Amino acid sequence: MEYTSTELLIITAGREIHDGEVVFVGTFWPLPASVFAKRAHAKGCTLIFEGGLVCDRAPLRMPLVASDPCLVASACMAGDVFDTLGGALHAGRVDVALLSSSSVDRFGNINTTCVGLYQRPQVRLAGSGGACDVGSLARRLVIVLKHDRRRFPQRAGYITTPGFLDGGSSREEAGLPSGTGPSAVVTTLGVFGFDSDSREMVLEGIHKGVRVEDVRNNVQWPLKVSDNLREIPPPTQEELRILREEVDPHGMFLRDARLG
Amino acid sequence: MPLQAEDKRMSMREAVAQFVKDGDTVYLGGFLHGEPHAAVHEIIRQGKRDLTISTGASTIFVDLLIGAGCVARLVTSYCWNPVPAPTYAFRRAVEKGVPRAIEIEEYSLLGLSLAYFAGALNLPFVATKTMLGSGFLEHRGFLGQSKCKVIASPFNGEKVCLIGPLRHDVGIAQVQRADKRGNGQCWGILGPTRYGLNSCSRVILCAEEVVDEEVVLHDPNRTIIPAYRVCAVVQEPWGSHPSYVQGCYDRDWRFTAEYARLTESLEGFKAFLEEWVLGVSDRGEYIRKIGRDRLEALRCKRRESSPVDYGSHSGF
Repeated sequence: MEYTSTELLIITAGREIHDGEVVFVGTFWPLPASVFAKRAHAKGCTLIFEGGLVCDRAPLRMPLVASDPCLVASACMAGDVFDTLGGALHAGRVDVALLSSSSVDRFGNINTTCVGLYQRPQVRLAGSGGACDVGSLARRLVIVLKHDRRRFPQRAGYITTPGFLDGGSSREEAGLPSGTGPSAVVTTLGVFGFDSDSREMVLEGIHKGVRVEDVRNNVQWPLKVSDNLREIPPPTQEELRILREEVDPHGMFLRDARLG
Repeated sequence: MPLQAEDKRMSMREAVAQFVKDGDTVYLGGFLHGEPHAAVHEIIRQGKRDLTISTGASTIFVDLLIGAGCVARLVTSYCWNPVPAPTYAFRRAVEKGVPRAIEIEEYSLLGLSLAYFAGALNLPFVATKTMLGSGFLEHRGFLGQSKCKVIASPFNGEKVCLIGPLRHDVGIAQVQRADKRGNGQCWGILGPTRYGLNSCSRVILCAEEVVDEEVVLHDPNRTIIPAYRVCAVVQEPWGSHPSYVQGCYDRDWRFTAEYARLTESLEGFKAFLEEWVLGVSDRGEYIRKIGRDRLEALRCKRRESSPVDYGSHSGF
């Protein structure tokens, strides 16, 4: 069955959410990915959005931002940032969080702040919002982005959202809670995990039709590949049906219809 | 105006003229929801200068203030157009110093919210496990060491980040309803607004609707700021357009996307500012210019909650 790289990205990211989990949902790709999970294989998950919403029902339409008012109609609690970033995330009650990123480095550090020097950047980006908190405190963090070599630098120029910092035990040494940190990077080429000792990104799965060489050529460091590299099962017909018909029938993310 | 006044209603022009001074530290409420666009337009029209703007998530309302040259410093967790697209005036100021350079103090959203919380409660600091290992510790702006500090917890020796309080001269928020005394009620996505607003010395409350005091007295759980903290009440329907207010109107996505397209160039930004801010006298004229049909299309269908019963509890 035919599918686009956008559909592949959303479905693969959505599969990182398991039924019954407490999920912290970042903006952009995490929106369709988490709504897809909620409607496909993880109907019992709870979706939490930084602005104050706890949702145990799927939204009535595709949210376009993480603070979309349509989400209030599927919320069982509408509070403030201390109910979500505080009582859920800081308290250690978030099983998995999803974040979009403009770039991610060898140790899973995310830079959404600037290109070039912080004080006088060549390109200034958005900054953190709650992303830094999410990357610091969620038990598992899934980073979602379209693959492009420029988005995979050896070292983040600014750490907006800490991953494993310099690798090894540096994340714990910085004081971040143990048992937290990036668990997966999902891209249009494959899925990466992190080595349990060095904390370096490791290629663990590739999408059908992608060669390991393609991935190696699209990161800016010598990439480690898992001994148990697997081919990721392509989206099923049912997954594609749910995504296209139930999650995003207006093509807001699938066809960029939100740009009008 | 004394904080005990029975009637604090005034126009946006009067409220901004009276309570926002050049050089003030200004907290702007909202979190995509309930952004005070009408108030921001009036601040620009009155040519306020050297403001320190502080807000949880900056979008195009902050971009406008920066591009209009009103801002010297920005305290925030984020600055972007929700389309998503860059906030180009913000980028021009940071990358090129146009129309003027601005200083930025950045936090994570939780870190910033905790700083507001500490400011609202007059706490000396709050201890947290967020921001450790991040660029927010390494790169400090004008707050320097008073922004945050990493220490070993006196309880268990673990590293913790202490975040100092943020307080503001004046706070402005757009809420669904208020009474004329200044009790402000808000529902939907609350973001960090409650604590941001309560960390301010003076508060201008902009409301979609000014309601009878009895409405507030029958649902006091919904009050996010009480009258004794509020200086001015401005009835300003559609005051968050092109952003949204829960239960009132939706985001105007077309306008938001058009803003991004127009303001990518400096000339386009100036033209936008002239057409939609400087060239109109007040929100009433802005609304007429947007057009009733377009606004009515944004108005939400009703979806009312069941009334709650607080009971009178008047007997002994």
